[in-house]
Amino acid sequence: MKLHKSRRVALTVPLASMGDIAFLLTIFFLLTSNFAKDDTRNITPPTATQLAELEKQNISVSIDADGGIFFNGRPVGSPGVIEAGVAGFLVGKKEPQDRMVVFRCDKAVDQNVFEPVLAAISKAGGVIAAVGEKSKP
Amino acid sequence: MPIVRRKETKELEIPTDSVSDIAFLLIIFFILTTTLSKLSGFTAELPSADASQKQAAKTDAKTPSVQLAGGKLLFNEQEVSLQTLQDRLLDLRLGSKDGEEKVVLLEAGGKVEYQTYYAAMAAISTAGGVVAIVEEE
Repeated sequence: MKLHKSRRVALTVPLASMGDIAFLLTIFFLLTSNFAKDDTRNITPPTATQLAELEKQNISVSIDADGGIFFNGRPVGSPGVIEAGVAGFLVGKKEPQDRMVVFRCDKAVDQNVFEPVLAAISKAGGVIAAVGEKSKP
Repeated sequence: MPIVRRKETKELEIPTDSVSDIAFLLIIFFILTTTLSKLSGFTAELPSADASQKQAAKTDAKTPSVQLAGGKLLFNEQEVSLQTLQDRLLDLRLGSKDGEEKVVLLEAGGKVEYQTYYAAMAAISTAGGVVAIVEEE
């Protein structure tokens, strides 16, 4: 009668790929942590000498170099849509700091494009926070 | 008879047990030291359409106005440079005035780029004035 000795198998967790997993997680979270609300790739901001720091707001309106208008990163067809969208976001908000609308526009955009958008934001009750780059005096 | 000894070949290995620890430490380091981009600009609460129509009826020759036309910058119909405009607006001490006395008319005629418009708006806003856009009829 043969007695078989039970072989104890040492349980080991293979750690060889931990480094790869760590780097993959890093890359994943770096790429997905900040979902861009605005497509600012085609916007060259204007410059001015006296600018202050702005707080990031929930509402943003952008106009790129091609004249495309974007509301919170989504393309819209006309300033009327901007007015309706901003008005919807600002329902019930009375304080100026709660009615901030971040406005980004390419510095070469014509007046006929950005002026109606500015008017639409102000008609909806928004306070325009115009984004630019600080230039040396 | 010579005794032949087999050379023991040693396998060289790089210890990889701490690679995951190094990866996480690097992640934490770069997350803590990364400087997030900050927005810079100015805020401007433009009068709404009804308010601007009432304002247009009340404006008189004393209301300061900035005109942008043909690449020129005019302050009260006198051609000025941007620095001169900023200085003259600061001299008006708009920040210490109330209500309608803070209003500065901004009129753009012809093709005006956003850069020029932005610089004029920034000068008015940083001087404490309220921008009132004059639209072409």
